[in-house]
Amino acid sequence: MTDYRYIGKPIDRVDALEKVRGTARFVGDYHLPGMLYARCLRSELPHARIVKLDVTPALQVPGVVAVITSDDFIDHGRFGFPISDLFMLAYEKVRYVGEGIACVAAETPEAALAGTKAILCELEELPAIFDMEHALDPNAPQIGPAREDGKHPNFLGHFPVYDGDPEAVLVDCDAVIDQNYETVMQEHAYIETEGSLAIPTVEGGVLAYVSCQSPFIARGHIMRTLGLGETAARVINPPVGGSFGGKDDLNYMTAGQVACLALKTKRPVRMTFSREESMIASYKRGAMRMRVRVGADKAGKLRACHFKATYDSGAYSSQSPFTSWRASIHAMGPYRYDACTVDLTTVYTNNGFAGAFRGFGNPEVYAGIEQAIDELAEKLGIDPLDFRLQNCLRLGDTTPHGQTLTESVGLSDCLLAVRKASDWERKRAAYAHQSDPDRRRGIGVTALFHGTSLGAEGTDEATGTIEIHQDNRVTLTSGLTDYGPGSRTVYCMIAAEMLGVDIQRINIHLPDTNLAKDSGPTVASRSTMLGGNATRIAALNLRQNLDYAAADLLGCEVFQLQRAGESYLGPSEEPVPWEVVVEHARRMGLVLSTFGRWSAPKIHWDEEAGRGVPYFAYHFGAQIAEVEVDLRTGLTDVLNYYAAHDAGKVIFPQGAYGQIYGGVAQGLGYALYEDVDYMDGYLQSINFDTYLIPTSVDVPEINGSFVETHYSQGPFGAKNIAEPAMVPVAPTILNAIAQATGRRVRKLPANLERVLLGETLHKKGSPVSCKVALKSV
Amino acid sequence: MLIQFTLNNQPVAVEAPSDITLLALLRDHLRLTGSKEACEVGECGACSVILDGELVNSCLVAAPQVSGRSVITIEGVRAPDGGPNDMQQNFISYGAVQCGFCIPGMIMAGEALLLKNPQPTRQQIRVALAGNLCRCTGYQQIVDAIEATAKSRARQRA
Ligand code: FES
Ligand code: FES
Repeated sequence: MTDYRYIGKPIDRVDALEKVRGTARFVGDYHLPGMLYARCLRSELPHARIVKLDVTPALQVPGVVAVITSDDFIDHGRFGFPISDLFMLAYEKVRYVGEGIACVAAETPEAALAGTKAILCELEELPAIFDMEHALDPNAPQIGPAREDGKHPNFLGHFPVYDGDPEAVLVDCDAVIDQNYETVMQEHAYIETEGSLAIPTVEGGVLAYVSCQSPFIARGHIMRTLGLGETAARVINPPVGGSFGGKDDLNYMTAGQVACLALKTKRPVRMTFSREESMIASYKRGAMRMRVRVGADKAGKLRACHFKATYDSGAYSSQSPFTSWRASIHAMGPYRYDACTVDLTTVYTNNGFAGAFRGFGNPEVYAGIEQAIDELAEKLGIDPLDFRLQNCLRLGDTTPHGQTLTESVGLSDCLLAVRKASDWERKRAAYAHQSDPDRRRGIGVTALFHGTSLGAEGTDEATGTIEIHQDNRVTLTSGLTDYGPGSRTVYCMIAAEMLGVDIQRINIHLPDTNLAKDSGPTVASRSTMLGGNATRIAALNLRQNLDYAAADLLGCEVFQLQRAGESYLGPSEEPVPWEVVVEHARRMGLVLSTFGRWSAPKIHWDEEAGRGVPYFAYHFGAQIAEVEVDLRTGLTDVLNYYAAHDAGKVIFPQGAYGQIYGGVAQGLGYALYEDVDYMDGYLQSINFDTYLIPTSVDVPEINGSFVETHYSQGPFGAKNIAEPAMVPVAPTILNAIAQATGRRVRKLPANLERVLLGETLHKKGSPVSCKVALKSV
Repeated sequence: MLIQFTLNNQPVAVEAPSDITLLALLRDHLRLTGSKEACEVGECGACSVILDGELVNSCLVAAPQVSGRSVITIEGVRAPDGGPNDMQQNFISYGAVQCGFCIPGMIMAGEALLLKNPQPTRQQIRVALAGNLCRCTGYQQIVDAIEATAKSRARQRA
């Protein structure tokens, strides 16, 4: 094993000091002289035609300086990738409650609100769709964009995987499970709400501070929709107060709106959302309805899977084509089958809208498949952990997509690790026989695989730069954002390791479109792999120059060089300080700023055939939850949680463990409480008093561990971690509840009534809180 | 109205409207932006400050209510040499900081707890943090950091 100085060792996060002191400046902390406050007029109807939109009365309101609508953008601010169905502000129609219609800039937040109220906006209500099962009915009202291929406009896409004929195999199986499962939408609930600040530049361009996933995407939308050249728009990521996939499309709109207003008013314009506005306007994790059929033979060999699902993207496509695709790839779980079909259809409705969220479709499908696998094991009378061990993907196996796994497959080791850590066998046996009439315990397990980086969702490359300054400080840039997971620390560790210098020398810029190079979106847990490799290569290029300088200085060949701390040693073993080598390199005229680009290995996916190599590598993991259910109230207490993950080599341990703990907490909320309930298109929970996320007393002590397989293409053998920890949590807890109560909860979340009664109580909702919130400060 | 109080051990007098919250007074009038605004209904604790030794959500306190009283915000938490104090350093060392948005509030909650209970159990720490939401960390390393601080302070006292 190579002995590293930094990689895999504890280290202080690079941006932690300013965060613990309260001096880190998030967007909402910026104050500039003359800064205006922006606020959107938002739709109070789930589906309507904009019949009249007159902003002139708003301009009469004291303090209001400017108002914009979609007319102020090129092509009405149309944007969105891969389907361009979004607008910077609504154009012709609104499709969900909370959609921005016009945007006001004013001297105070109060004046901005008064301005939105003064706008004359006449909406003609249209019939809407709230049930995804009816989105494709022939007479369903049109929500999605018109299409020319004859398909239903509310059809967003079909995402299949085909491997043989599971129907033929299922009839042959000794045991078959055929069940429906359902997930609901989930709110990201980043503690920092959305926000952007735009400052007009002297040359007529705009500088924007945007709390978002990718400054380059924000800049691209600003450039295209406002007609600015690349150099006229600059976007910087200030510290981002949590994102989890959520600060993407919606905050690009916010950025576009303030940029437009800044250009119009020639003053800085800032917009930050209240929690209510954030929850009403923002996109969510989409809801999914699944029918899962899995079959096995008596000996416990899994034989077939037929997974059919509908995914609700709400009013816009946003990232749903990608989340749906990722979901389809993983929908059968990490197992070998004789035959497998996945058949996922994504549709438009008027339930808010769905977009990127940690796990990207996988928490949804795992809530189905990992319960079905458990139910099948139970039917066969086989221990669910043994059943998974017997059927899980191993090195050399071919997946249902047709991909042979040639390295870094640590799934069975993860299962063995959680089995041991949790004392599974003893507890599983003990909890099978309980007599307490009020409280019952259960223990449940899941297994997972999760494709690394974008996969066949897009071209996958990243660029990093590194530079030694005159004062010998080293500065890195990366186009990938760090909205919490710690990737900037990972890059500094990699650079220090490669250069053989003290990490204190190394600084990393905030992501800035003028300093960094476009590296694609910071999504899909791609930061470590893509950005890490780019940094590694940039640092290698720089080290090569320094090595030449050192060899020249020491009168030897490069291969004879040795290092002692930062210093270089030649054959004479007299140490030469790093600074002296750097100075010598300068004198030799060698460049001390380099960059590195890394492209992911080639992969391909045939969308029609439903086959190919969807990802170049997979993260594997296994989790176990131990719960206690109060049979009188239906309250579930998660007592213990065990998670073992194969993320390849772990580079930044505190960060990696933090991803496990945070992921488990987010999944626990998804399992037990979180329910974005749209009643006829109106969100019912619009703040943390009714939308409950896990607190410190809800989350148990988590036993996290890593199975460090080496991945040859990863930096130092690393893969990814940010998303996967969250992915299997809900079914892990549901499987434990099933053992405790003897009853399955097949619809998320497993709240009191579902656990207690096995059904959802019908609640009466109301549009009132949304409507009031959209009109108040 | 003129609001006079002790802020981070210094007397201050600030002219501000009487109908604003302590959070708005701190952030908008005194430009102390370390206390964060994230819900304004007292549910998240991002705005936590210590008022006369008690942890409060500053979004629920009317600004005039602090007249004559003592308020400690995250800007007032530091070591005698001006650097991070032991609690802040432990938050860094234990990996308790991710996005950081909840962190000022978490540190205030940790400090407020140790004022009253210098040697809390992990469960007592969890209960003390129950009003402070964090979406990133799962709380575990935050509990680690507060526990470590309590232990090291106890050692120093001994
Ligand atoms: S902002 Fe005060 S408790 Fe959330
Ligand atoms: S660190 Fe992000 S909310 Fe706590």
